[in-house]
Amino acid sequence: MIDEKIYYKKLKLKAGLEIHQQLGTRHKLFCQCSAALKQRKTKTDVLRKQHPVSSELGEVDIAVQYEFFRDRSFNYQVFPEEVCLVELDEEPPHDINPEAFNIALQIALLLNCEILGEIHVMRKTITDGSNTGAFQRTMVVGRNGWLKYGSKKIEIAQVALEEDAASIVKEKNNKVTYRLSRLGVPLVEISTGILQGYIPEQVKEIAYMIGIICRSTGKVKHGIGSIRQDVNVSIKGGARVEIKGVQELELLSKIVRKEVERQIDIVKSGKRVVHETRAANPDGTTRFTRPLPGAARMYPETDVVPISIDKKKIKIIKASLPEPLTKKLTRFKKKLKLSNDLAIQIIGSDYLSLFEKAIKRYPRLSAIVVANVFTSTLKDLRRKNVDIKKIEEKHLMTIFGALAKRKIVKEAVPELLMNFVHSPDESLSESVKKLNLTMLKKTELRKTITQLVADSPDLRKEKLFGIAMSRVRGRADPQEVMKVVSTLIKKRK
Amino acid sequence: MYPKEIEELFKSKGVRVGNRVKITKGKHSYEGIVMPRITLGDRNNIVIKLDNGYNIGIKYERGLKIRKLKGGKRLKFKSMKARLRKDPGKPTVCVLGCGGTIASRVEYKTGAVFPAFSPDDILASFPHLKEVANIKGRKLFGIFSEDMSPQHWQIIAREAVKEIKKKVNGVVLMHGTDTLHFTAAALSFMIQNPTVPVVIVGAQRSSDRGSSDNEMNLLCSTALAAKSEIAEVGICMHANMADDYCFFHQGTKVRKMHTSRRDTFRSINVVPFARVWYEKRKIEPMRDDYKRRGMGRPKLDDKINPRVGLFYSYPGIDPSLFECLVDFYDGIVIAGTGLGHVPTNPSKDPMSKSLVPALRTLTESGIPVVIAPQTIYGRLNLNVYEAGRLLNDIGVIGNGCDWTPEAAFVKLMWVLGHTKNMKKVREMMLTNIAGEISERTEPEAFLL
Repeated sequence: MIDEKIYYKKLKLKAGLEIHQQLGTRHKLFCQCSAALKQRKTKTDVLRKQHPVSSELGEVDIAVQYEFFRDRSFNYQVFPEEVCLVELDEEPPHDINPEAFNIALQIALLLNCEILGEIHVMRKTITDGSNTGAFQRTMVVGRNGWLKYGSKKIEIAQVALEEDAASIVKEKNNKVTYRLSRLGVPLVEISTGILQGYIPEQVKEIAYMIGIICRSTGKVKHGIGSIRQDVNVSIKGGARVEIKGVQELELLSKIVRKEVERQIDIVKSGKRVVHETRAANPDGTTRFTRPLPGAARMYPETDVVPISIDKKKIKIIKASLPEPLTKKLTRFKKKLKLSNDLAIQIIGSDYLSLFEKAIKRYPRLSAIVVANVFTSTLKDLRRKNVDIKKIEEKHLMTIFGALAKRKIVKEAVPELLMNFVHSPDESLSESVKKLNLTMLKKTELRKTITQLVADSPDLRKEKLFGIAMSRVRGRADPQEVMKVVSTLIKKRK
Repeated sequence: MYPKEIEELFKSKGVRVGNRVKITKGKHSYEGIVMPRITLGDRNNIVIKLDNGYNIGIKYERGLKIRKLKGGKRLKFKSMKARLRKDPGKPTVCVLGCGGTIASRVEYKTGAVFPAFSPDDILASFPHLKEVANIKGRKLFGIFSEDMSPQHWQIIAREAVKEIKKKVNGVVLMHGTDTLHFTAAALSFMIQNPTVPVVIVGAQRSSDRGSSDNEMNLLCSTALAAKSEIAEVGICMHANMADDYCFFHQGTKVRKMHTSRRDTFRSINVVPFARVWYEKRKIEPMRDDYKRRGMGRPKLDDKINPRVGLFYSYPGIDPSLFECLVDFYDGIVIAGTGLGHVPTNPSKDPMSKSLVPALRTLTESGIPVVIAPQTIYGRLNLNVYEAGRLLNDIGVIGNGCDWTPEAAFVKLMWVLGHTKNMKKVREMMLTNIAGEISERTEPEAFLL
């Protein structure tokens, strides 16, 4: 770690993050279409062309662009409930979705941003056809924020609220097909300042922290594609390269490392690193997509009135801000003694609120045990094709209650959960009896093990423990078994 | 314009719109270019454009500091120059500009929209046009189409005929879409034999976006004007939501039928003249009853009387409304219900009021009353129900006609520009002049 730190410091690694997180609103940002992204069957297709628009760039540039657009056409797939005239660029945007707007303000405030006095919706020119209007609607909500990372403060340059683009289905012979469902789903874009003095692993951690700040609101989308990371990388002698669309956080540090290596190789070979945009491959390498665009071509969205924000509104939102998950993470590690990995897993889990409920109700129960049930036991069962959706909150809570009262041991949990899937209405005591998982009394345990020791006088401690466990698994605490085995062996000697 | 207090602050610091500034407020500061204050929103916010392109509003409060920095730019739009060389092998099309957003342009640094109307500007924005024709053109006026008046129609008609007489191969008229069909009807009456296509075109999506329908509509219109045999006045715009072809609609038989869709213009009670394919620029006639290019001579007949009112009948309408119209109008068009009805109360229901006495007063005072269908589609028939027969009896004009309310309205203005004789007005109104009345209706000519 220290070596790595020195290595990247020498290289003067600079990184910058742009995190895009889809919000979990019912409707889209500028219309009343469902943002659920569930529809699979297209209703109809609409074929469109796009053409360059005049700008200060001059007519030569336009002519060149024309050639680019000339043979390109876009096929837009329309889905029921998720696409209306707004996505089809056939109707002006409706009023901004207040739910999305409030979540964006919450996220900006959780990231300690200053909320702007008046928010202006902009049109950002997009030429790849992923937006039917050839622009994306976007607005800055907050500026000048920060995020605590260890003892350091990470600069959060800007939080923006914007529309997601349509997702590409296929591209063939200059005809690109897009699904319109995703177009208009609200998205927050969080941009950090320049991250200097960090190693790639830390860059990934910072991205993670920003991600869980978003999740603190409880109102962001989960699952693949719901959060996408762009990362800017440059080293001394290299150049700023933007890598777009990293969908898996785990890949981020690898991508940064690989990009650094790529730039080192180019510099070594005496060539120049080109300012460009690259796309992430699943193996952590990247591919060239286009030269880095200049300052975004942006102009006001004249169909939406600027939104004025008064201090009262900010006060109200501030008063009801959720506890940032970054704070929760620290609390879980310090107070509940969860390991970093386990804490991260439970924070990222869908069972986070259930976990918190359980440890609150049964304070004597080990939080590690509870966390493990959610992060590994349930996962194992699912892997074994057990339909864990049938496991209800009450089932889990009775199990935690029995664990707290030491009526059962944690090794009995998988079997009991499995039993609930098949017999959801059975009481826990019935199941315990049926499955022979009643905890052995100390005297019974001692008796069983004494017998075992007497039967096999030559066996070593470890072997004895193994046999003992196979006889009492699910009915005794392994630590207790070990203790009994040890004392009996000592006596034997 | 910013409020006085902000303007004064700017003045004291030598700051102007377009300057690069640093604004400090408490512990935060922002750098960017001062933007003009738009009228919408809270004017107490100073709008600056950040280096990343975003505009933000910074609320003006006591203690806010502003400092002028180097850089910034004058907010002005440079006109583009297209290298224009006339190709003698190509037809010449005259593009006349009447306003609307079809050919306006955006300056990205500021977002301001500038009208683009010299042929240079048009060609610079739409380079494909020169593959179709030599373009000449000029701006007549730049107004929103809802601000159009009958006087504007007259100017357009005169200028179009002037161009036709100069032997252009076709005329394209760029116009806002809201009242495009009124203008189309007016020109149809004023230029009855244009001898070349007179194509009116607009755009439903603003021209700043790469998805605007302006490019396809203008290209199809220009192709039509340059080479089509259909020497009629009409509207050429998107036929459906896709960018594949446009329809060329007959000027007296077309209407804006949707607030925002690009295929908003629909032919009413007839099939469009033609389909114009965007990529192939191919013109596919859908009818045969059009005037052919080059036949006869163009004639301008722009006499018009604008003192005509258009009213909509509805349940419970108060007859006294019509009683007071005598002083204001020389003619009245009512968009009636169903086959052409208004309340006439033949059953003497105590809760209903008949319009018959009020309308009779109008016709007896020499003010023609014309009926049109508020159903938009279909033909009027005043013989079927008693209400219709009562209107017929007092001389309401329109029985058997299938005109749109707008075409009937424009026609009455035009007719009243020629005569005030009630008998003559009636005769002219009921005679098909510019395709506004069709004798038979094809079954497919509905919701097309």
